[in-house]
Amino acid sequence: MSEMEMTSQTPEKREQSLLNLICLIAAALFLALVAYNLFAAGAVISTDGLFFTVVPLLLAMMFLVVPGLDMWKKRKALAAEGGAAEAAAHAEPEEEIHFVGSNRLFLSVWFWLLVLTAFEVFLGYIRLPVVYMLVILMGASIIKAALIVAYFMHLRFERINLILTIVPAVVICICLLLVFFPDSFRAKNLRYSGPPPAAGSEARP
Amino acid sequence: MATEAQALAGDWGGGVHPYRVGHRKLGMWLFIMSDSLTFSALLMGYAYLRASNVWPEPFKFYPSIVFSSVMTLVLLSSSLTMVMAVSASARRDKSRARLWIIATALLGLTFIILHSIEWNHLISEGLRPFQLPQEWVEKWPGSTPLFGATFFGITGMHMFHVFTGCIYLFVVAARVNKLKHEDVEISGLYWHFVDLVWMFVFPMIYLLSVYPRK
Repeated sequence: MSEMEMTSQTPEKREQSLLNLICLIAAALFLALVAYNLFAAGAVISTDGLFFTVVPLLLAMMFLVVPGLDMWKKRKALAAEGGAAEAAAHAEPEEEIHFVGSNRLFLSVWFWLLVLTAFEVFLGYIRLPVVYMLVILMGASIIKAALIVAYFMHLRFERINLILTIVPAVVICICLLLVFFPDSFRAKNLRYSGPPPAAGSEARP
Repeated sequence: MATEAQALAGDWGGGVHPYRVGHRKLGMWLFIMSDSLTFSALLMGYAYLRASNVWPEPFKFYPSIVFSSVMTLVLLSSSLTMVMAVSASARRDKSRARLWIIATALLGLTFIILHSIEWNHLISEGLRPFQLPQEWVEKWPGSTPLFGATFFGITGMHMFHVFTGCIYLFVVAARVNKLKHEDVEISGLYWHFVDLVWMFVFPMIYLLSVYPRK
């Protein structure tokens, strides 16, 4: 029975692929004509040149419609099959969700982030000397970053494997960037800091 | 003891996820690691320039600092709404998750608008990437013109991240019914990272350059 079906289908398929092939060859010929015309005509944007470009292009597209439609049909059939298979695969296990933390916890984290931010802005308001400012601000920012990573980004509730993969690497890399600072201070010390040049000497533009 | 050893063997024996996260989530974590290095390089470059130069401190407490504090508040609140979205999605409440995600993206857009206004102030004062306004040059003689380069570079990079995050969140909100919970969580990871970066940019760029009281 199935063999019968196979044999009855095969000539049809062969016909279809032969038709596709002929159409493709015709389209390719017309496209070649277009290309030849483009090179031979010299000026592309003349009325005649445009005509001889557009008309073979249209004809080529007409021939391309047949294999195009065939391909589209095949892809749709494939997608339907794949979709059915995927749906079947999805139907089996419901995605297991790992989620810890209540809305109250998140609200309190948000509250503490706001408090730390307000503290930082207050420091900006009273204008401490810049070195104290830098140390305190960086400390507060690191605490804030830790809060965000731990609770909002949920890292605290992940496996220790993941935490140990992510955190130390980033921290070490960032600390390595500090290697530039001695050079920065050196550049500052190289700067001329004597008395300003005499008023009579040449003025800089 | 035996059970622990068995558990470990089970973890690394193949066929399971040793990190207990999907590959997409792990990928987002790796992206966040690399992106945090991008931002730290930018901020370190800023700190380098600042330590080795005369640096202008132009941000008056009002309006600049107050304005940027409001921006910080907006971004922090958007983080909260994102967490709410993830928590709703964990309860399989897709429609509420979608609302929270849209709220997050709108707060992100608010941040962008506020920041553009702030940029506009500075630009109309005459700040350019490689040029200071004349007033500032008189107030801080010999100060470096690279102030604008670092300011626009760092905050612009951050704004670009917020912008792409907004697009990302709108796409997630539109497709939330088709997506898994983990996909929503991944978009949350990205958004919190953007917030985290601002927690360093805000103090380093703004609060360390408050206009001196004189």
